[in-house]
Amino acid sequence: MRWTTRAALMKWTLGSVAVGFLIYQWLPMVTLGVLSFSGPDGGTTFPMNGVSLYWYAELWEPSLSADFKAPLLRSFLLALACSATTAVMAVAAAQAVRGEFRGNGVFFYLILLGIMAPGLLVGFGVAIVARLLGIALSWSTTTFLVHVTWTLPFGFLTMLAVFNRFDRRLEEAALTLGATRVIAFRRITLPIILPGVIGAALFGFSLSYDEFARSLFTTGADLTLPLTVLGQFDRQLTPSLYAVGTLTTLFSLTVILLFGGVMWLTRGRARRPA
Amino acid sequence: MPDIDLELRRITKRYGSFLAVDNLSLDIARGTFTCLLGPSGCGKTTTLRCIAGLEQIDSGDILIGGRSIADAPPWQRDIAMMFQDFALFPHMTVARQVGFGLEMLKQPRAEVARRVAAMLKTFEIDHLAGRKPATLSGGQRQRAALARALITEPRILLLDEPIGSLDFSLREMVMFELKAVQRRLGISFVWVTHDQTEAFSLGDLVVVMNRARIEQVGSPADILERPRSAFVAGFIQGNNVFRGTVTAAQDGMVRIATGVGEFLVPVLNGSTPPTGGAVSFSVRAERITDQPGAEHANRLSVRCGAVEFFGAVRRYFMHQADSQILKVDQFGAQAARLREGDQATIGWRAADGVLHHGDGGSP
Repeated sequence: MRWTTRAALMKWTLGSVAVGFLIYQWLPMVTLGVLSFSGPDGGTTFPMNGVSLYWYAELWEPSLSADFKAPLLRSFLLALACSATTAVMAVAAAQAVRGEFRGNGVFFYLILLGIMAPGLLVGFGVAIVARLLGIALSWSTTTFLVHVTWTLPFGFLTMLAVFNRFDRRLEEAALTLGATRVIAFRRITLPIILPGVIGAALFGFSLSYDEFARSLFTTGADLTLPLTVLGQFDRQLTPSLYAVGTLTTLFSLTVILLFGGVMWLTRGRARRPA
Repeated sequence: MPDIDLELRRITKRYGSFLAVDNLSLDIARGTFTCLLGPSGCGKTTTLRCIAGLEQIDSGDILIGGRSIADAPPWQRDIAMMFQDFALFPHMTVARQVGFGLEMLKQPRAEVARRVAAMLKTFEIDHLAGRKPATLSGGQRQRAALARALITEPRILLLDEPIGSLDFSLREMVMFELKAVQRRLGISFVWVTHDQTEAFSLGDLVVVMNRARIEQVGSPADILERPRSAFVAGFIQGNNVFRGTVTAAQDGMVRIATGVGEFLVPVLNGSTPPTGGAVSFSVRAERITDQPGAEHANRLSVRCGAVEFFGAVRRYFMHQADSQILKVDQFGAQAARLREGDQATIGWRAADGVLHHGDGGSP
């Protein structure tokens, strides 16, 4: 076989694997999405019993068994807070490591520990420590802290990669032109690394928004959305769960598109000759 | 002292155990075009960065216009810097970044706009005011960077290999433009380069550096004609360096025994080296002839090797008995007598040898 034939064959093979993977990734979500439009008597599997928006309407009806609105709001606020915190701390930590302080290698691995540590156990540990210290568990305090230990490493790695490509001499040029370090950061560094900062914020948002393991033992009485959804699975399986899943997926996609849009806009501004 | 722009007083910079700048002193008079010349890793760029304040010196003092700025941050020194590759801000238009220095001085917006417009006009880039760096050619970037650096009228402009990233064809033009700018503004330029052509065509003062130290400071003619050390002589194009020991001294001359013979070398200034002492000297390639006459007291048998042509000059690479290479330059107009493989006797006048005085600890 000639090498061009082999290369073509390899290209098609790898392409098929990639397409197969994408189907594998999206098919379950599409299935849930389709089933969420079942009629009022609809079951949780095919064949569908009619087509309606009944289960979406159901979500807004206050009911004792499952009210998703409050958990949704909590998860959203929590994700926003994690997003902002991750972005700020990731930039600060990456800046620090870029400065190569003594022990920055250890610092690097200590931060990455957040990715490697098993979430359930970390959450459980926080719950125990909180109890020992007499701190009340709450989604907005203990859960927030645990989530940040999980989202920060992703933002941190993103920012390290961004700074890796950042030309330090741009900052030095600003300094020799009379800018203080703070002004150089604001006027030169930040605008250039902004797409990376948005990426870090996005990690913070999406990783916190659907985090289950680290929330399980740390939220106290008021549950976040993933916990509520799992609770509902235990009680009764109705297409309203599919509706929640579809809505939150769409919501996440919207957020990502929004961030992406901002990134595209800022990049366009940097490139376009005025 | 108002007539001194820059004084480096015994500055030292270490990175861990690596000595980047070693006890270096240098005075630069007002309006001087100074070139720091040396091989990579000799400390020339570090010296420049210490002057800019981008590196903190470990000891010594730096004075700009008579004022010590060793502890001042970069933004409070009366300097500007041009970087290799220019370090233009990718997200700002040319007008915006040229005005950056004035903005930092909190000049009123109208004043900034007026001076930026004038600056862009001076450097003939006014039509590029609204463009981003990514859309500029190498020469245009260089002008934008120069305008940006000069707009605050700094006392000293520091340039780190400022034309190293330009196309070869553009370099010569840019070099002379920069020289003209320096002459017109009358500010001091400190230009770091490893390219001796740049240093010798631009510099009023050339500072040859090696291993974190200054080897020699002088005018281009000084350094070309009277290298102080074997390092300088070897670093400068067209020198032949010999090492040996002094066997005799008389009438302002020393006799030096080398591996390929004994030669007479004049002692021009400085003290006569002691008999038996290890010394080095150099002879420029164009001072050596392949047809030695009575006046060419120093003679040497060589075998002719490769021949190269540099414009009007023909350079022979001669093999000496100790297999060292000896360079001999002739004008191309002169008829070529030697071919590769020929045995020849070459010679030079005793007066054309340059005895090195500053070898110190360097090899």
